[in-house]
Formats: sequence, structure tokens, C-alpha cells
Amino acid sequence: MANAQAEAHHDDRPTGVRRWLFSTNHKDIGTMYFILAITGGIVGGLLSMGMRTELMEPGMQVFTNPEVFNVLVTAHGLIMVFFMVMPSTMGGFGNWMVPLMIGAPDMAFPRMNNISFWLLAMAMTLLVLSLFMPGAPGTNGVGGGWTIYAPLSTSGTPGIAMDFAILALHLAGASSILGAINFITTILNMRAPGMTLHKMPLFVWAVLVTAFLLLLSLPVLAGAITMLLTDRNFGTAFFDSAHGGDPLLWQHLFWFFGHPEVYILIIPGFGIVSQIVSTFSKKPVFGYLGMAYAMVAIGVIGFVVWAHHMYAAGLEVNTQAYFVFATMVIAVPTGIKIFSWIATMWGGSLSFKTPMLWALGFIFLFTVGGVTGVVLANAGVDRSMHDTYYVVAHFHYTMSIGAVFSIFAGWYYWVPKMTGYMYSEALGKLHFWLMFVGANLTFFPQHFLGLAGMPRRYADYPDAYAGWNFVSTVGSYIGFAGLLVFLFSVAYMFARKQKVGDNPWGVGATTLEWTLPSPPPFHTYETLPRIK
Amino acid sequence: MTQTGEEGEPKMAQAHAKPQHDYHLVNPSPWPIIGAVGAITLAIGLLMYLMSRKTGNPELWYVLPGLALVVLTMFGWWRDVILEAHAGDETPVVQLHLRYGMILFIASEVMFFVAWFWAYFDVALFPNDITTYARTEVTGGVWPPIPSDETGVAGLGYFGHTFNPWSLPFVNTLILLTSGTTATWAHHAMLHNDRKGLAWGLACTVVLGALFTSLQIFEYMHAGFGFSNHIYGSTFYMATGFHGFHVIVGTIFLLVCLFRALQGHFSPKQHFGFEAAAWYWHFVDVVWLVLFTCIYVWGAGTNFPAH
Amino acid sequence: MAIFHRMLTVFAALVGFALSGAAMAGDGQPTPWQLGFQDSATPIMTQITDFHDFLNIIITLVALFVLALMIYVVVRFNEKRNPNPSRTSHNTLLEVAWTVIPIFILVVIAIPSFRLLFAQYDFPKADVTITATGAQWYWSYEYPDEGIRFDSIMVPEAKLKEGQPRLLTVDNEVVVPVNANVIVGLKSNDVIHDWAVPSFGVKLDAVPGRYQKTWFRAEREGMYYGQCSELCGRNHAFMPIAVRVVSQDEYDAWIAEHKSAAIDTEGKVASAQD
Ligand code: HEA
Ligand code: HEA
Ligand code: CUA
Ligand SMILES: [Cu+2]
Repeated sequence: MANAQAEAHHDDRPTGVRRWLFSTNHKDIGTMYFILAITGGIVGGLLSMGMRTELMEPGMQVFTNPEVFNVLVTAHGLIMVFFMVMPSTMGGFGNWMVPLMIGAPDMAFPRMNNISFWLLAMAMTLLVLSLFMPGAPGTNGVGGGWTIYAPLSTSGTPGIAMDFAILALHLAGASSILGAINFITTILNMRAPGMTLHKMPLFVWAVLVTAFLLLLSLPVLAGAITMLLTDRNFGTAFFDSAHGGDPLLWQHLFWFFGHPEVYILIIPGFGIVSQIVSTFSKKPVFGYLGMAYAMVAIGVIGFVVWAHHMYAAGLEVNTQAYFVFATMVIAVPTGIKIFSWIATMWGGSLSFKTPMLWALGFIFLFTVGGVTGVVLANAGVDRSMHDTYYVVAHFHYTMSIGAVFSIFAGWYYWVPKMTGYMYSEALGKLHFWLMFVGANLTFFPQHFLGLAGMPRRYADYPDAYAGWNFVSTVGSYIGFAGLLVFLFSVAYMFARKQKVGDNPWGVGATTLEWTLPSPPPFHTYETLPRIK
Repeated sequence: MTQTGEEGEPKMAQAHAKPQHDYHLVNPSPWPIIGAVGAITLAIGLLMYLMSRKTGNPELWYVLPGLALVVLTMFGWWRDVILEAHAGDETPVVQLHLRYGMILFIASEVMFFVAWFWAYFDVALFPNDITTYARTEVTGGVWPPIPSDETGVAGLGYFGHTFNPWSLPFVNTLILLTSGTTATWAHHAMLHNDRKGLAWGLACTVVLGALFTSLQIFEYMHAGFGFSNHIYGSTFYMATGFHGFHVIVGTIFLLVCLFRALQGHFSPKQHFGFEAAAWYWHFVDVVWLVLFTCIYVWGAGTNFPAH
Repeated sequence: MAIFHRMLTVFAALVGFALSGAAMAGDGQPTPWQLGFQDSATPIMTQITDFHDFLNIIITLVALFVLALMIYVVVRFNEKRNPNPSRTSHNTLLEVAWTVIPIFILVVIAIPSFRLLFAQYDFPKADVTITATGAQWYWSYEYPDEGIRFDSIMVPEAKLKEGQPRLLTVDNEVVVPVNANVIVGLKSNDVIHDWAVPSFGVKLDAVPGRYQKTWFRAEREGMYYGQCSELCGRNHAFMPIAVRVVSQDEYDAWIAEHKSAAIDTEGKVASAQD
């Protein structure tokens, strides 16, 4: 059914503005997502350096106004989650690799793909602008935490900065919903002939599950922030207890989105790690079906555990008991994944190239973050840990280590494919070790701080907490040095231009993208591959 | 459906051969970036309007430039889609994509409404919880709340009475249900290549949709409560208002289909634009039924005027 | 360079700590280089501590088990030692095992977990009832039965007396008798705050429009400090909680002294309250 127009445009290789700004090509759009994500990572990282420097010693050193510290914390959380991890995993790797791995010429809706990207760029612009708008009385920016609990986010922050942040989240949400629709349609509908669902690479499974989580959780956030907007500006009473509303309604709606969101951040990472572990063990994934359905299970259960973030909010004891139970169940499918990765390596022939180092680091350190999650799941002890640095330690082990390590693993794994150039092993390994040491030094002592009772979102703390805070800050500097090495290694790779072949990883790399040239041509799979 | 055009060897021939598949590789398009710029312009316009409101001098027109860009984008984008469809780009598999896309979009919309219903049930099911003492003061411990002038607590928002569900809301239910049938009529007509039936079916649906909106506006004008300062009005207007917005969008969607039908678009084989509009319309219909049951009937209480 | 000097001190402290061995938990407040919870002063906190010790062992073992497997795999199955990979990708027994064993561990965790949770919500008969109201950025306390009411505001660094901890000391402490069941009702005037005292194992949000309750029974006399534990804006870090646990006699005397007489506050916010 090829027709005149189709023939005309397939040779059309746009350049300049048409190629980038008007792009309908999944690879170019993926590249733009990477640029956005790296920018987000640098900004979010710099914000965290500001925070850690303030916390290096007791007393106020960097900021005179503690609310400015709160603004940094808020922006750091929002930027890292929405403008670093999500654009890397789904936007970058998802866009680049899903079509390549399923043997599709592009995404199902190439034009919609582009608006997903640009909406996200606009959202980031709005969020950054919010930093310079009036927020809480006398301060610029949003200081309500990334969870923007009402009524601190309504009556507590009268300035327009909060409305900027709300609309930024609206745009980011719209972007992600459209992206999710695109991924689901692509994966369900555009697999190459012969590629059944049960033959799909695990990364594709991961993106599929994540897309469903996005599709079903983000609209609830959109609804919640819309109510926040009308409460702030049009006098509605959703979260306003004086007029019959309820601040806890906000928390329920937020966490109904927020908990699935944390799995949105990590499940693509699970997928990436599965590809890498199998490649560098030169073995097929162990227990493939179990791996795929474990992700499905994590996604489904992820929707019914949200109130474990609210144990201290005053929920009824039976409600708490239910959420304890439901939350702990998630450890089971996650354990299946951890053990299956190890079993994949068992009997394999492991080579420790940079991507594999990151993947190994991921498996162990994510386990550390996961098991502290199981501690937090128990409402009884969470009473002592909620809103302390123990929680901060937990979620940085899962995100700043888990999600970030998986992103760097994926980066080193696929960057030769995407650019056609080999990265420098030496720099990659240096990057890994700096981040590994830095991140552990930053976040492990935070467990101690949390147990000792140090509350989070504190610009200043009692002197007894000084020691571990100092260690943590030193660790964060080491981690940041790792980030600089990463940036240098990217520059070095493009300067060195060391060409790679179709498949630099050898027999272990069995997915379709390794059958293509590196970098792949503008249009791939003009003839669909056939999967046996 | 993906099985077409696969005759090549597994290792694909690159570049210069014409594509051996039925997917639609879309040309570069300016609309996404224009749309995104429109979105941020709209957002900033809205923010400027909100700021102007605080100074007591609201300037609603600030939202117009952004809105114009967004509308322009929709127009240009969908025009391109229609042109591409006529050029034959919408192969069966591409049409299948569109179907998936629409179903998923509607699924996300359902979750959007979940948020409004959550807000509603959060108060409607628990108007009398002992811990939420402030809420009990406002509602009087019952749902629907005790009229606020009777509770006499100063500073509360106005809540006079609910609507009689068996009056206008019921009429509106009938209207929407009827419009569902006329949409199906149009669909059938189209499948049998009955152009007249198609046009009339669509026209009736559009008129019924417009009628619904008008009655809804009329109802709003006679409400016994406002949007602000009372949880009843807030939950009521947010849920029904968003539904109303969806009715308007659906009506426009159907109207566009009507124009396209009159232009000779849609064939018994290829008519996804119309189908999407119909699905959307049925979705809006179902949401109304839930609203009607939960908010109007179940939440009516006894204290409403008879008309 | 200052930073190296600082790191040396840190290192020295670490070594000193490792040598001294024991956890140097202070009473009612954190101590430098502390690793675990603050010392428990209530039966609930004792239960929390015990349960956490138990959990900590389990999660450490789980993490070490994963680490051990990984080390083994890395050593045994690297390219050099094992050039020819196997193709095994299934083992039903194993897969069942790593599903069922975690379930079993979780059940073992869940039983004491629920016991603890329900104990926390098993409210005893009140000996003393207090209402704590959070406001930006201080706490107000009320003893409704005694008609006592006062604000509790952080003492700024410049005004601290010898031995008073920075950021924890307040002008007016809550005073409660030892071994008495104290019910604390929580309210808020503006945004959400959270009333938390680590050594009591108590943490509950003060939510506008809600009146929620928690309880504790302090078993030792002394000063116990806590801090606001829900982000509440600019001075979130500066609205501490201080509870002075005294003997019944001292408590009675305190009540007698303050009954129906307003308690002075050093800050100015106090009057805005009424
Ligand atoms: C990538 C992100 C991510 C991931 C994957 C997780 C995973 C988990 N999280 Fe975490 N969490 C966050 C990000 C994440 N979390 C964030 C951001 C917050 C704070 C938000 C805020 O307040 O700002 C938070 C907070 C948070 C809380 C609230 C704490 C509080 O505020 O008081 C809780 C409580 O239940 C919790 C639990 C869990 C659990 C049980 C898991 C589980 O999924 C973990 C499962 C994994 C394992 C258990 C390890 C591997 C398993 C095995 C080796 C099998 C054997 C194990 C056992 C039998 C134990 N998390
Ligand atoms: C993914 C999420 C993420 C990441 C990566 C990080 C990274 C870091 N975070 Fe944090 N953080 C949060 C999410 C994250 N954080 C959230 C949600 C909160 C809670 C906010 C709130 O309370 O409201 C928080 C809060 C938080 C606090 C607590 C503040 C407080 O409560 O007062 C602290 C304190 O130390 C901290 C420190 C750090 C540090 C030192 C890093 C360092 O590791 C930073 C080093 C930089 C990187 C690791 C990024 C590198 C990545 C890239 C450059 C992208 C690369 C892209 C490609 C290759 C495509 N963060
Ligand atoms: Cu009050 Cu934080
Ligand atoms: Cu969670």
C-alpha cells in the first residue's frame, strides 16, 4: 500500500531546523531527550551541592534565609525526578531503543512523540522560572517540598511561584501521558513479525509496564494539582478544612500518583540492567517470564500501597495495617528480579566492561535501598523514621543510586550504538568508582542521622548531627566529581571519534539493535526483520 | 495486522530501497513545537491573569495569545492528519494505531475523573468523622451538608440546597442517552454508505449535545450554592464542570465530523475520525451516568426545591 | 587546608568511636556520631527499638546474602575462569524457592510488626491530657483539665544557658509526671506540623481541621527533645519540642504554681495566639 507521498518522504532526510525542531524521528527525539536530561542532572546536581554545602556544618552558612534552602530542596527533588530520570529512561532510552529492539521503523505516532519532548522542555522552563517568582512571603520560589502538601502549598505559599510549578507539572504530565500512549501503541502494535510479547527484550517489557503506570497515575496528579490551582486562586475548598475540605485528600491524591511514580523511575532501570547482565554474562536472561511478570506485578501492586507515605498523618490503625501488608508484598517480585539477575550471571562468562560495573553496582545498592524500604513499610517503626534522614537515605539508594546507576549503565551500554564511537573505558571506570564511593559516603551515613532522629528538610540541625553530616557532604563532593568526569568522558568520546562496529559486545548482545550499523541510519528497518 | 510488507531478508536493506512496510513515517512537522510554545504561552497568560486578579483588576485576555496558538496547532495538525489520510498513509495498521491511541487516551481521562470522584467521596462518605471536626462543623455531620445559613457558622461559604435530581438533571440524562443512540444511528448509516443518515445522525447528536450544555448552564445559574468557600460547591462544580467541558469538546469533535461528512469524508472502510468522536461521546455519556447516580441522586438528600 | 584538618578530626573521631565500641546514645537528645535510635524512655519506644533491631538483622543478612552471591559469581564466573558460558535459563525449584522464602521472611516480619502497630494504637486511660497546637513556627500547649495554657518557643542561640542544646531548647517546656499515661491531642492553626519526640516513639501530624491523638508513658525523669517533623515553611527547623518528665510531686507543684496563671513567653508571638 505504499503511495506517492510515502515514497516521497522516505528519502527525505531533513537538516537543520527541520531535522531537530520539527523532528519526527525517534532517534533524534531520543537524543534531544538526553540533552534535556543531562541538563536537568547538572542543574539538579548543582542544587544538591548547594544543599549539602549548607548542611556540611551546623548553623547557617550558605543561606541566610532558611526558606531559600527549602526552595533548593524542592527544586532539586522535582528536577531530578521529572527532568533527569524520566527524560533519560523513557524519553532517551525508550525512544532510541524500543523501536530498534522490536524491529519497528519508528514510534507509532512520530509527530506526537515530538510534542511530548517539547512540552517537557516547556515544563522545565516554567519550573526554572518559578525559582525567580515570589513564593512564601518574602522569598522567591517554591519551598513546599516536591510533595507540595496543602495547606503549605495553598495558604502557606501565596506567591505566584507555586502556580508556575503547578502549571509546569501540568505540562510535564501531559507530555508523559502522550508519551505513554505512544509507547504502549508502539509496543503492542509494531513488533516485527514473529516477535511475540513473550519474545520481547526485557527493556521493552519494562517500558511497556512503565507506560501503563504513567498513563494511569499521572491524570490523578493532574486532577490534584488542578484542585490545588483552584483552591489557591478561585476559593475552592478541596484542601481547605475551614470550608469542609481536607488537607489529607491532597496527600492521598498525591501519593496515589507518587508511589507508582517511584516505580516509573526504577522499572526502566530494571529493564536496562537485564539487557546488560545478559550481554556481559554471555547468557540468556534467567527466568525470562518471571522477570517480565515480576515487573507487571510490581506495577499492579504499586497502585495499592500509596498510604505508606502517610503513616504519621493520622490514618486509622486498620488502614495502616492494610498498607503495611500490601507494601511488603512488593519485596517478593523485586526479590525475584534480584535473584534472577544473579542466576543469569551464574555459570556465565562475565566481562567487566563499564556498563557491567554499573549494573553490578545497581544490583547490590538497589538491594540496600530496597530492604530499608521494607523497614519503612512497617508503620510501627516508620513512626520513628518518617520524615527523617533514614527516608532520605532510602530513596537516594533507590533513586540517586538505583535509577542513576541504571541510567549510566544504559548510557555506556548503548552510547557506542547511538553515536558510533567507543567511550573511554578508563574514564568510564573512573566515573563509576567516583560515583560508587561518593554516593555511598553521601547516603549511607544518612541512615544513622535518621535513626538518631534528624528530621529531613532542615536547613540547620542540632550540633550532635554534625559528624555524619560532614561525612555526607564530603561524599557528595566526590560524587559530583564523578559527574564532572562523566561530562568530560562524553566530550572526550566525541573528540576521539574511535569508531565501533555493529556489535561491540560480542555474542552476549543478541537483541535486534546490535544487527544495525553504529550509528544506525536515519531510517531503520525499511524492511521489517523477521523473528524466528 | 503487522504482518504486511515483510518479504525482505532478516538483515534489512538500508536507505535507498522504498520502505517495505505499511507504517507511516511522518514528515517533519512544525506543529508539535508550535503547540508546545502555545502551551507555555497559554500557561504564562494564565499566570499573568492570576496575578492580575490578585491586584483586583483581572485581565482575562492574557490567555488569548496562547489559546490562539493552541487552536491554530490543533487546526493545522489535524488538517495534516486528514490530508495524510486522504493520501493513503493511513493503512490498516496505522488505523489500528489510532484506535489504540484513542482507547488509551480515554483510559487516562477516566483516571482524571477518578480524581474528582475521589475528592467528592472523601467528603460525601465521611461528613461526620470525629477527627475532622472542622469538616463536621461545615457539613453538620451529614451529606448533603446542612444548609450553611442554618448552621449559622460565620465565614462559611454559601450552601442553600441541592438540585432535584428528577428535574433538569434527569432531563439531561435522557438527552445524553438519546444522543448516544443518534451517534450510533450515524455510525450505522455510515457503515451502509447512507450519507444522509450519517449527516442527520451527526446533526442530531450535535444538537443534543448543545442542548445538554445549555441546560447545564441554565442549571448552574439556578444553583443553590457557589463554586467557592464550601466543599459541596467545590466538588460539585469541579466534577460536573469538567464533565461539561468534555461535552463541549465532544460536541465540537462531532461537529467537525459533521462538516467532514458533508464534504464527503468517511467511507464504510475508513472513518476513524468519526469513530474516535463516537467513542469519546460514549465515554462522556458514561461519566455522566456515574455523576448522575453518585452526585445528583445519591447525594441529593431531601432538601431540594421541587422544580 | 581547613577541609583536610576537618577530615582528620573526623577520622580520629571515627577511630575513637570504633575503639570505644558502645553506642553513646544520650538521654532525650542525639549524641555525636550516634548510629542508632535515641535511648528509649517509653514502653512503646522500647518495643520499636527491639523490633528495629530484629528488622535490622534481617535486612543486613538479606543484603549480605545478595552481596555474597555476587562476589561468588564475580570470582567464579568471570571470563578468565569460565570462558564457556552455560545456557541454563530455568530452574523451577530455584524460582519457587526465591519466591517462597521471601514470603516466609515477610510473614516473620509482619507478625511482630502488627503487634507493635496495634500496641501503639492501644490507648490507655489518660492520666494527663495535653493539647498541642502547631503554628508557624512554635507550639502552644494546653492542659484542658487544669486550665493551663502557654506557648513554647525556641530559645535563640544567643540566649542559651550553659548546657542547653542549640535548636532544641524552648522557653516553656511541656511538663508531665513520670509513669503517667499522657494523651497528646494535636491541632494546627495554619499548615501541617508534626509533633515528634524520638525517645518516646511518638510522631503525629498536626493537621488543620483535624484533632488527632497519640500517647506516651515516660518511664524516666529527664528532659526529652523532639523537633517539628513535617515541612511547615521557613522556620520548620526552628520549632522544637521539649518535654520535661518529673516526679508526681514536682508535677503537682508545677500545676499548682501555674494553674490559671498565664505562663510568660520570651517571644512576642504569644499574645497573637489569643
Ligand atoms: C526508585 C524509587 C523507589 C523505589 C524503587 C522504592 C521502593 C520501595 N520503597 Fe520507597 N520511597 C521512594 C522511592 C522509592 N522507593 C521515595 C522517593 C520516597 C520518599 C518520598 C518523599 O517522602 O519525598 C520513598 C519512601 C518510602 C516510604 C515512606 C517512608 C516515610 O516517608 O515514612 C516507604 C514505606 O513503606 C517506602 C517503602 C518502599 C518499599 C517497600 C519499596 C520496595 O519496592 C523495595 C523492594 C526491594 C527489595 C526488598 C530488595 C530486593 C529484594 C530481595 C533481595 C528479596 C528478599 C527481601 C526481603 C525478604 C526483605 N518508601
Ligand atoms: C532521582 C532523583 C534524585 C537524585 C539523582 C538525587 C541526587 C542527590 N541528592 Fe537528592 N532528593 C531527591 C531526589 C534525588 N536526589 C528527592 C525527591 C528529594 C526530596 C525533596 C524534598 O524533600 O522535597 C531529595 C532530597 C535530598 C536531600 C534532603 C534535603 C532535605 O531534606 O533537607 C539531600 C541532602 O543531602 C539530597 C542530596 C542529594 C545529592 C548529594 C545528590 C547527588 O547524588 C547528586 C549528583 C548528581 C547526579 C547523580 C545526577 C547525575 C545525572 C545526570 C547528569 C544525568 C545523566 C543523564 C544521562 C546519562 C542521560 N537530596
Ligand atoms: Cu512546624 Cu515543621
Ligand atoms: Cu511509596
